[in-house]
Amino acid sequence: MVSSRFDPPGGLTDLDETGLEQWSAFISVSVDAAIAGRPDHTNDAPRAQFYNLTKTDTAEDATSQDISWIAFPRQVKVSSVSDRQRWTRADSSRDLQDEYCEWSVTRRPDGKITRVTYTCEGPEYWQLLAQTRPDTLLELYQQHVDPAVQHGDLFDASGSYIPRNNRNSITTNGAMHLVQAANTLSAEIELVAAASIVRVIDGRELTGEQELINCGQYGAPQRNSDPHIGGVVNSIARLKADLVLRNPVGMYFGDLSTAGWDTPDGSDAKSYWTYVRGDDGHPVRAVYEVPKELEFVVGDIVIDGNPIEFGAQIADFISIKAIAVACRFGQSTAAPMTACVEDIEGLAAAFSAAQLKSRLI
Amino acid sequence: MEGVMAAESGITQLASSTAYRFVMGVDSEPTVMPQSQLDSLADPMGVLLRQGKFPLTLHDLLAEVDAAGMLPLQRSYLVSEAGQIPLAETGSLQRDLRFAITRARATNVDLLISTSAAGDPAATFLQVMGWDETAGRFNYYMRLGPTWVWAGDSYSALAPESRGQGCFDSHVNGSLVMKELKQPWLHWQSMNATILLAPDDPLRRNPLYQSLSGAEDLELTVRAGVSRWTGVRLKHAVTSDGRVTDLDRLLRQLCTTTAVNLASSVTASSTVVRSPGKPLTLPLGLWLNVDSLLDDLGLPARFVPPSVPGQLYLDSLVRYDFALVEGEFRQPGDAFFAFVVPEAAFEDIEVVNQLVRRKMISAHFAASVLMVDFPNPVFSPARVKLLAYVPAAATLDPAGGGVSQQVAEVIVQAVDSLPADSPEARFADHWRLADADWRDVFASRIQDYVNAVTLRIGTDQGFDDYVRLAESRRREFKSSRLNEFTLTLPVTNIPPDAPLLQMNEDGTISEKPAQSATEGKAYGQFSF
Repeated sequence: MVSSRFDPPGGLTDLDETGLEQWSAFISVSVDAAIAGRPDHTNDAPRAQFYNLTKTDTAEDATSQDISWIAFPRQVKVSSVSDRQRWTRADSSRDLQDEYCEWSVTRRPDGKITRVTYTCEGPEYWQLLAQTRPDTLLELYQQHVDPAVQHGDLFDASGSYIPRNNRNSITTNGAMHLVQAANTLSAEIELVAAASIVRVIDGRELTGEQELINCGQYGAPQRNSDPHIGGVVNSIARLKADLVLRNPVGMYFGDLSTAGWDTPDGSDAKSYWTYVRGDDGHPVRAVYEVPKELEFVVGDIVIDGNPIEFGAQIADFISIKAIAVACRFGQSTAAPMTACVEDIEGLAAAFSAAQLKSRLI
Repeated sequence: MEGVMAAESGITQLASSTAYRFVMGVDSEPTVMPQSQLDSLADPMGVLLRQGKFPLTLHDLLAEVDAAGMLPLQRSYLVSEAGQIPLAETGSLQRDLRFAITRARATNVDLLISTSAAGDPAATFLQVMGWDETAGRFNYYMRLGPTWVWAGDSYSALAPESRGQGCFDSHVNGSLVMKELKQPWLHWQSMNATILLAPDDPLRRNPLYQSLSGAEDLELTVRAGVSRWTGVRLKHAVTSDGRVTDLDRLLRQLCTTTAVNLASSVTASSTVVRSPGKPLTLPLGLWLNVDSLLDDLGLPARFVPPSVPGQLYLDSLVRYDFALVEGEFRQPGDAFFAFVVPEAAFEDIEVVNQLVRRKMISAHFAASVLMVDFPNPVFSPARVKLLAYVPAAATLDPAGGGVSQQVAEVIVQAVDSLPADSPEARFADHWRLADADWRDVFASRIQDYVNAVTLRIGTDQGFDDYVRLAESRRREFKSSRLNEFTLTLPVTNIPPDAPLLQMNEDGTISEKPAQSATEGKAYGQFSF
């Protein structure tokens, strides 16, 4: 079956009909560009096993596969020497929160955490929302970040939306959507497409997640997310299947594990984890907060005996996921590539700029 | 596993639908479990047996748990030491894929199952751990022939007669075991690696495979399970009048290496390149016990994790002929993730952490012990010596510090007759530091040590030393019963009987004292 259009991430209902059409068109263009590959790179196309589900049939043998990873940034973890150091670092800057999950921490005057808000919403959706329904965007900020947010806090003098505005750029003043440079839906689509190329180098089929991302040059090798997304996608491609990101395309919260968590009153620590945006199976925004009527706050909950002092501590227990769909197993005739991706000197910068422009709405 | 195989080889006829007990080291053979004991088993598996339910396959076991409705949340995980070996190269190699399955009511996992992912489900090994909330311990079960056998509980792991026997060869301290506990979870299917399967492998159709979770999730469960058992154990270890029983068994986990975890670089060994711009960062657990010293005891040490130029690492693989070997199978090179080493076990770390948190010992006391020979976070003969001064029981000091002062005084009193560099003297120096100073002093020493390592690791001789040190520690691990699988670690051309090595605080290495192994055995260090 061919899908009629791409739906908004998490089945969100903020867009009007025009916005919905534009969103579908945007994803479709992004997918088509990803299918075409990067012309400034060699051995990067064709990406014959990645398809546009609004143009190509998804066959009846289709199966879905969740691809999940931990929200805590791996690059921070491997360069730190203690938990406290890495939690402090990850809580210090949204630019370090690069696993398609960013957060903002609210504290009492005494420093205890009362609330942590996590988002995995890509910035592209918010750019479109700003263009088509700016009042709705403002209302969402007022609902989820602070009722006091004003239009001028989010838009510049020319009326253009500021994604990294004062209420969505640091780790203590609100997190409405992703702003870290690599945390984009476009990046996710591109890396899934690029990872769909099966590679046989010097007679050996590449299967390791790190060797695949190094050879295919998609995403950032040091993250949890990109090598894993690529590795799983490539393992599907090696089954000679065609694949896509499932509609609605997006990154989603997988789960919060509360193994080893204890609350002061013995209540279930997971009961304070709430999804506040996105539909069932596709949550895009989560809040960890203890109801005000209870006599303790988030900072009184302990994890493995340590009180929660950082949003990053919770991020250790959050999984983020992408969802792939594969079909036509065993039928792909795409030949493996026998070389790795290389830049074509001089073209990379020009293409990157052109590609970026083509994807902006 | 060894214990199970030994048990199975000795089994001839067991009656079906009958619960047996067979605690190796205690029971000479399986015997029918007395009804009174069976009635006391309150973990989920024990409950099934009490109800006369004896599911003999994994499928039937999960069906019974489903029917009971008590543990609705299920997760499955996959592990194999051969899981990353290219399928075309495995030949006759047994890939030995194994499932770990957890069942929970809510947050806490109460039932853990370990079994083969292939083979005849009625014949392959099937083992279960169940948490008994009433008794505050895990019960261990294995299917033997046509029925189930209770193999002991968490306290059996600690009892001298059964310690290291049967399933307690790996469940050394009566808790959960996940040797490769930390990222990148070598050998496990995880967010860092997918175990290779042929396109037509029947496992792909197995619902447990189709719903696999990654080892990153199992790590959280295992940590929580170890903490859960440790908490109950320590609570029960203190009597109402403040008497700490089994103190020597508790502090054994501070002074000795009762178990290890296996840590590795997060970099796949096949991706290490000679480019000087891409050094290989080695696992922190090679250098020191950062989890205890920095995280739990709060030493404010700051340093950059030491890394080595890729060329030196790659040269070392050739020089020492690294390979994964089992029988006729041989794959040149390192393990899938580079530079695997034994590191301090979480089950030891957590006991120390909770002893401090529960004020049974002070942080200063724990640090004073751990800083003795801290460049050797595992297999330290120096720290082992300190256990000789720990009594079997002691009373918590009303003035605070738990039993710290009593034990420390005995060690300090012994110093006069010992060399200045004895472990006892080093402990005494640490213990004399003022409360306001010890953390900074220890942190400074750690930083100086890591700086020395960082200077040496980039040199041919320095890195060669660390390669041989790591191999020495792997050999010590291989001599333990924790080493169940041939492909767990790579082999080298360093002779098995080469002198064991230790790290020095100046970043150099030297041969270990010859008597260390004997002393270790005396205190249970290498007895698992």
